[in-house]
Amino acid sequence: MSNKLIDLIDISKSYGMQTVLDELNLYIRENEFLTLLGPSGCGKTTTLRILGGFETPDKGHVIFNGQDITDLPPNKRQLNTVFQKYALFTHMNIAENIAFGLKIKNKSKQYIYDKIKYALKLVNLDGFENRMPDSLSGGQQQRIAIARAIVNEPKVLLLDEPLGALDLKMRQDMQYELIRLKNELGITFLYVTHDQEEALTMSDTIVVMNQGYIQQIGTPEKIYNEPENAFVADFIGESNIISATMVEDRLVKILGVNFACVDEGFGQNQPVDVVIRPEDIDLLKPGEGSIDGVVTHMIFKGVHYEMEVMANNYEWLIHSTDMFSVGTEVSIHVDPFDIQIMKKPESEDEEAVNIEE
Amino acid sequence: MKNKRMLAGPYLFWAVSFVVIPLLVIVYYAFTSDDGSFTFANLAQITTPENLKALGMSILLSFLSTVFCLLLAYPLAMILSQKKVNQTSFVVLIFILPMWMNFLLRTLAWQTLLEKNGVINSVLSFLHLPALEIINTPYAIVLGMVYNFLPFMVLPIYNVLIKIDNNVINAARDLGANPVQTFLKVIFPLSIPGVISGITMVFVPALTTFVISDLLGGGKILLIGNVIEQSFKQNSNWHVGSGLSLVLMVFIIASMALVAKYDNEDGGAAF
Amino acid sequence: MIRKYLQKIYLALIFILLYAPIVTLIVLSFNQSKTRAKWGGFTLKWYRELFRNEQIMSAFYTTLIIAFVSAAIATIIGTAAAIAIQGMKQKWKTMYMGLTNIPMMNAEIVMGVSLMLLFIAFHMTLGFGTILIAHITFNIPYVILSVAPKLKQTNRYTYEAALDLGASPVRAFFKVVFPDIVPGVLSGFMLAFTMSLDDFVITHFTKGPGIDTLSTKIYTEVRKGIKPEIYALSTIMFVTVLVLLILVNYSPKEDEEAAARKKVRRPSKVKKIIIRRVLPVTICIVFIGGGFYYAKESDVLNDEKLVVYNWGEYIDPEVLTIFEKETGIDVIYEEFETNEILYPKISSGAIAYDVICPSDYMIQRMIKNDLLSEIDFDNIPNLKNIGKQYLEQSRQFDPENKYSVPYCWGTVGILYNKTMVDEPVDSWSILWDEKYKDSILMQDSVRDAFGVALKYLGYSLNSTDLDELTEAKNLLIEQKPLVQAYVIDQVRDKMIGNEAAIGVIYSGEAIYTQKENSNLEYVIPKEGSNIWIDSWVIPKNAEHKENAEKFINFLCRPDIALMNFDYITYSTPNEAARELIEDDDIRNSKIAFPDLSKYDNLETFQYLGTEADQTYGDLWNKVKSS
Repeated sequence: MSNKLIDLIDISKSYGMQTVLDELNLYIRENEFLTLLGPSGCGKTTTLRILGGFETPDKGHVIFNGQDITDLPPNKRQLNTVFQKYALFTHMNIAENIAFGLKIKNKSKQYIYDKIKYALKLVNLDGFENRMPDSLSGGQQQRIAIARAIVNEPKVLLLDEPLGALDLKMRQDMQYELIRLKNELGITFLYVTHDQEEALTMSDTIVVMNQGYIQQIGTPEKIYNEPENAFVADFIGESNIISATMVEDRLVKILGVNFACVDEGFGQNQPVDVVIRPEDIDLLKPGEGSIDGVVTHMIFKGVHYEMEVMANNYEWLIHSTDMFSVGTEVSIHVDPFDIQIMKKPESEDEEAVNIEE
Repeated sequence: MKNKRMLAGPYLFWAVSFVVIPLLVIVYYAFTSDDGSFTFANLAQITTPENLKALGMSILLSFLSTVFCLLLAYPLAMILSQKKVNQTSFVVLIFILPMWMNFLLRTLAWQTLLEKNGVINSVLSFLHLPALEIINTPYAIVLGMVYNFLPFMVLPIYNVLIKIDNNVINAARDLGANPVQTFLKVIFPLSIPGVISGITMVFVPALTTFVISDLLGGGKILLIGNVIEQSFKQNSNWHVGSGLSLVLMVFIIASMALVAKYDNEDGGAAF
Repeated sequence: MIRKYLQKIYLALIFILLYAPIVTLIVLSFNQSKTRAKWGGFTLKWYRELFRNEQIMSAFYTTLIIAFVSAAIATIIGTAAAIAIQGMKQKWKTMYMGLTNIPMMNAEIVMGVSLMLLFIAFHMTLGFGTILIAHITFNIPYVILSVAPKLKQTNRYTYEAALDLGASPVRAFFKVVFPDIVPGVLSGFMLAFTMSLDDFVITHFTKGPGIDTLSTKIYTEVRKGIKPEIYALSTIMFVTVLVLLILVNYSPKEDEEAAARKKVRRPSKVKKIIIRRVLPVTICIVFIGGGFYYAKESDVLNDEKLVVYNWGEYIDPEVLTIFEKETGIDVIYEEFETNEILYPKISSGAIAYDVICPSDYMIQRMIKNDLLSEIDFDNIPNLKNIGKQYLEQSRQFDPENKYSVPYCWGTVGILYNKTMVDEPVDSWSILWDEKYKDSILMQDSVRDAFGVALKYLGYSLNSTDLDELTEAKNLLIEQKPLVQAYVIDQVRDKMIGNEAAIGVIYSGEAIYTQKENSNLEYVIPKEGSNIWIDSWVIPKNAEHKENAEKFINFLCRPDIALMNFDYITYSTPNEAARELIEDDDIRNSKIAFPDLSKYDNLETFQYLGTEADQTYGDLWNKVKSS
């Protein structure tokens, strides 16, 4: 996990009046599982297509293994793509689909035969050689699409929302499958999704994007626990995002009440946003916490109860294993290290980031 | 759902009355002579040298026009299918619109264009180019066929091409195929259903036309359509006409079955 | 970039290929000259003439009505069938789709022929009804094939949801399913309409007398030169449809842009509705309404009618109008191109013509086969105007002058262009001269073509000797490579347009062509030729014999005969009319009225019997397919 395999430098792309990517810079290390995460239209798919060679950036360079491949056509690139809706060749059987890339490269028959065997075994579909794509389920087609890509031994596998069309159970199975594959193959995965759970489960690194800008790059834990702005906080998991004032270092005023926190360096009396995850809020008896309120909604969610508490004119979202029925008076308590402080957006561009999908 | 099936009643009645029974009438005429006795003589008429020649000429010319139509239409359909969406109606428009100018007039206009002193030759001689002398030859007939039937080749191919998922093409490129390989191994095989229906829609009318040969062939080239038309409209020999029609019909069915069979066998193996 | 450029060029070339003929036709509609062979300056007169030309307008409206009605009925039957088929088991579905594919796959000509045989077998009168049935038949598959894919896309749960919410099946269908398939139904209708409009072949076989669609009208006219009014009509149709389609297709786009700029403005929405719905509907109503109006005008229901079957371009239309006005009889007027096309129609009796105008030998054949009825000459006092020598000539085919009244006569000869032929022309041999390869126009009819060859060989043009005929056939085959085209009345236009140097032509046409192109000269070759008489006769199965006699008598009136002579320029046997010709040159023209005593080798055609006819036909086919 050391050297940069792919380097995107100052990539810009627009369609007509609409800017999709604006001076994007991103590098991908060898053997990394990197996920581009964001709502649709955020530019993640365009980034992937630029890497795949299906789009040419208006500006900027794509460096692959130290070489500029910006203008190289897709068939000359050492990377392969797994497409959103599989894009299998419906007029060929499974074996022909998998053999496609190898035949183009004029590999020997024996080599191709072995590779097909190997790839089908890898994706747990042995014996499917002579089936036609139409006769397979979505999940099976997806595995074939992956098999078809990996037999070419790409340095990087690009996956464009590969699980988007599958049902929940299948999706979860495939997530483990993909992690296993990545570990077995030892190649770099570049994964595009709008599903935060997928991203958190599989990635080494997550890149959160919105409206053509990178919002935050980091490990799943970092992205979840320390979102850098309201967009990231809101997009990853559920959270309470509240306007607040940073009174001084380690003290923030939320809804008129001072809370101790661990952040420093925001200055004095500066407007900020705070993020508090619902599971980080403790409910105590009235008067024992920082702010008192009344439970207005309560739903049982299995692992926990989801509650809404009206306190100081703000509806707090709270997850707790303890149940408080509607109408119960409670008090809210948050530990200092569970309060995440973020700068208020300044520029218009950053403002745009806050507009929800 | 019983009453839903009743909805097909009028159609069934209509199709049996005006499609199936008329064909049986043809069969009856084809196998009887003037006095109503059974005979194969009408079918045997196809083997006279004149009729065989007319049939051969029809097959040759319709084959050529089908090939030309395909060669012209495929790139056209490719270009059109790459245009941005929402132009489908525009494409259809371009090809349907000429049909509102009568078919005979459209064909006749080619006479004016192709004649010795016609429009095209006037332009050519103005440019000091050699004159184009194809009017009243089989070439003019092929041109007329290509002109009239081109839309029937373009539209089915176009309809298939726009349905091909762009990502399938991208996938082929991604797997290392260059544009030519992508076309040969992916785009073309996927478009074969359109090509086949295009071929059918061009070959059959071209094979059986008598109007185009009439208007552009100068009465010098006799196609099987002309022979049939004459036997009904001029010689009043309905039995022979029916016999020839039946032979023609069987020939068409056979050749279409052949095309369809070829299509099925095209699957091929993996290695 | 280069690729883009090439694509543009390619598109442009295809566009030119598709639209060059269309532009040509539009240009021709503004051509002052009546023949398409030359440009006579810009004019709008054909557009004015168009609306006065009842024949063309009624053909036009017949076309529209048939297209509309057949498309509408086909849409109803087809949509219902598509819905039913959708719900069927696979086996039945396959059978129905197979049935649907028969008309699509079958050759048009076979379908036309089969329907014709059916109608005749069941004694249905060929006419409007049979055309309509035929059109509905070939239209239904188009509708089914447009609706079926839309039905496949519809979500059957919405239909069930509607039932669940209490709608009756019928109501559920119209409220929920139907709106989903409307685009398919509409495009099916439009496709059917267009196909019906453009059909020729099937109409050709299923139509009867007195009814023409634009296609069949044009087909008859192709042989004698298209009337420029047809070009004008086609231009109007084309432009109308073009404008309509542009409005329907491109107005919403504009509106969306406008809406995006200034939020939604009410007026633009109203405008959109007007453009997209009201306008097309209005235009359709105008057309269809006009159709019924014209259909009424032509008044097919009138009892006093007369069905005339005549050669193409063989009467002054004004004469028909005067006749209708004077007698109150409605004339249903049909045209044929050759005697051979005429004969089967009369002999089959499928169509009851009242008065027809065949040539000599064909009259002989019809008399022989008892197809004609004797004319009551008490009803034809004007017979006195016809020159005695012509009645005498007529005895060759009508020995007792009982069946026929001469209408026109003439000779067959060579028309040549003095600028292209230097040598003196006096023999048929020039038609075999290699020098004039591809500049010779031959007649596209059996007897005329063989007549030329037989005369050139020195035989009788009524020969039935197989050796002589085979010799003639070989001569014609030898000539074929030199021939530019086999045509009938088109000789005229092609000679006027300098398309050919030499053509075989009837003397009557020669007078007209000389008027248009002074370089043309007509000769009767020294080996002799055909002298012919076209006469009016009344078929046995005529339903209006008295009207037919009135008509013949009317045509024998000197003033009427003169009008016809001026219009068709064929020599008239009407001596009284000839006296009325003002122009001395024409009255004494050697072409129009040759001195018959100077020629001793002019023959009329004789009817040679079925067997010889068959021989001629077979030999002619050999020539044509050589």
